[in-house]
Amino acid sequence: MSEYNKKRFLVIDDQPQARDALRTIAQTIGAFAVEFASNYQDAIYRIRNNSPDIILCDYVLGEGRSGQQLLEELRRFNLLPDETIFMMVTGEQSYEQVVSAVELVPDDYIIKPFSPDKLVLRLDRIIAKKNFFAAYYQEKRKQEYARALAILEAQRSSETGRPYRFEIQRQQAEVLLASGDAEASEKAYRSILENYEFPWARAGVARSLHKQNRLTEARAEIDKVVDSTPHFFDASDLKASICMAQGEHAEAQKVLDEVAKKTPRNYLRKRMLAEAATLNGDSETARATMADVIANDTMPGAISPEDRLTMARSHLDGNDKISAEKVLVGLRDVEIQAMNLAEQASFAALLAISSPEKGKARFAGLRPALLASELGPTTSLDVMRAALSVSDHELADLHAEQLMAGIEAKKVFGAIRKQYALYGRETDFREIQKQVALKRIHHEEKSQA
Amino acid sequence: MHKLLDILASGVHDAKNQLFIAESLIAAAEAKHGLKMSEARYAIEAAGNRLSRTLAAYGILRHDAALGVTPVLVGDLCEEVVLAQKSHLAGQDIALTVDCQVFDEWPLDRDLVTDMLNNAVQNAGRFARSRISLSAREDGGWLVLSVEDDGPGFATLPPTHGTGLMVADRLAALHARKGQQGSLHLSNGSSLGGARFELRLP
Repeated sequence: MSEYNKKRFLVIDDQPQARDALRTIAQTIGAFAVEFASNYQDAIYRIRNNSPDIILCDYVLGEGRSGQQLLEELRRFNLLPDETIFMMVTGEQSYEQVVSAVELVPDDYIIKPFSPDKLVLRLDRIIAKKNFFAAYYQEKRKQEYARALAILEAQRSSETGRPYRFEIQRQQAEVLLASGDAEASEKAYRSILENYEFPWARAGVARSLHKQNRLTEARAEIDKVVDSTPHFFDASDLKASICMAQGEHAEAQKVLDEVAKKTPRNYLRKRMLAEAATLNGDSETARATMADVIANDTMPGAISPEDRLTMARSHLDGNDKISAEKVLVGLRDVEIQAMNLAEQASFAALLAISSPEKGKARFAGLRPALLASELGPTTSLDVMRAALSVSDHELADLHAEQLMAGIEAKKVFGAIRKQYALYGRETDFREIQKQVALKRIHHEEKSQA
Repeated sequence: MHKLLDILASGVHDAKNQLFIAESLIAAAEAKHGLKMSEARYAIEAAGNRLSRTLAAYGILRHDAALGVTPVLVGDLCEEVVLAQKSHLAGQDIALTVDCQVFDEWPLDRDLVTDMLNNAVQNAGRFARSRISLSAREDGGWLVLSVEDDGPGFATLPPTHGTGLMVADRLAALHARKGQQGSLHLSNGSSLGGARFELRLP
């Protein structure tokens, strides 16, 4: 048995009696230091401040939140080192189906009631596994992907790696995807699927195809996953992203709306819903959703300037310039100074639209930078819109052209057309569209020659 | 439509939580007073398993049971069955031995398969004279898990199906892979002379 008396435990459960029961079991196996967290916020606070060695987390956390959501949030915000053991404790059989489907999984889960001996058996196995992967975890944390992959490759063919072959393959696919080699990650996920139809591996194929901008294929793959495993919520998020990239904003909004109802306190998902609603022209849903996010996402530092910009954008979409201005003016100077170029550009553009007298000068000051740089699609749209509003045709047309020639063209096409129509420049829009198409054909001819 | 299932699942969930509280109190008393109350804990865990199986049976009868398949190390699976059953069987002077010849992971529903094996060992324990063996081997792409005893064997074959067997039969068939389905075989062909329970998974 490992020395559990030296490990720091954190027990997360909203029910006092169940919490005591978990502590008792932990103490029975030798645990000396056992901390408690009674809710979601408290758990995040404790893990962030002083990461425990072993987390025993109940699946049902109350207030519309689950242990799975906590785990996903911890992993996404990099608050959970690979070395920390996360064990889900559950009386729900349905959790097994979640674990078998999703991409972000705990180290293990255990079903109540269970004996101290069984917990020790499970923890011992996890510790052995973590020791096996220790060197890999270090390289992965440093984002030394080539070295991480080399370690996994050597382990895959080793005899000691035999009990972990599926896990090695899964890690290989994830690292390939994280390193940006989407073709290799697609291949890795497909080779896992040859063995068994795991939903997370199918989703990995879709994710890899999406990164390669092979949207139709990506959509076909993710549709399979969402249809067969409706409790795999991240798959719905991925489907929505792919739909948006395809320009199918109504479908994206529908998918996100359904899944957001089941996870009312997942605010990353709500942000996506706001984005889909904006693209879909449903400014009221976008505005209400962002208001919910800003009021209720209580993760420390969770509300970013980007969120405020999104909020302002949704007010503008709803023709409420006064509210948009209020949101923008409410940003503090330090926040604005800390923004990157894209955010500064969006801020200036949105302010110029909502309040020309306050924003026009700032927007004009950025003009040389805006003519010289390619910004992300969201910012580019903001700039185009502001330029149209101040009749700066050169700047507007440049960004419209960049957007339509870019890889996210389908996503933003409808929004560009709408804005040009708003300023009576439909003919110019069609001309830009034609130019972009001609350039593309020319480019393709050249590359074929 | 899902309302009845939700009510049942929530009831089972609450009951299992209560059982867990009871088990933790017993474990604490054992540690504090140096007692051994493993039979009490065995009964609690058996009750928990029984509740899970009831819910699984309900899902199967509604034809919407779904598996949660993960890669599972077969040796770990056997180890958990031994942990759950060995001490109880020892109390009845029955020895449980394991022979696991599969060293790789296998994609299967860990909890359901463990429960099936636990159930098979429990059944064997009722009839065995002194020995039960649990074994795992690979046979032409199939995982073969078997439980054998040295009891009198089944009086009739096929045996009259109870809920447990019906559930096991259907759960075995739900394990599908590359166009093949799992199956359950009961016979008197035990190498120990009694009944043999064999689960074949693709």
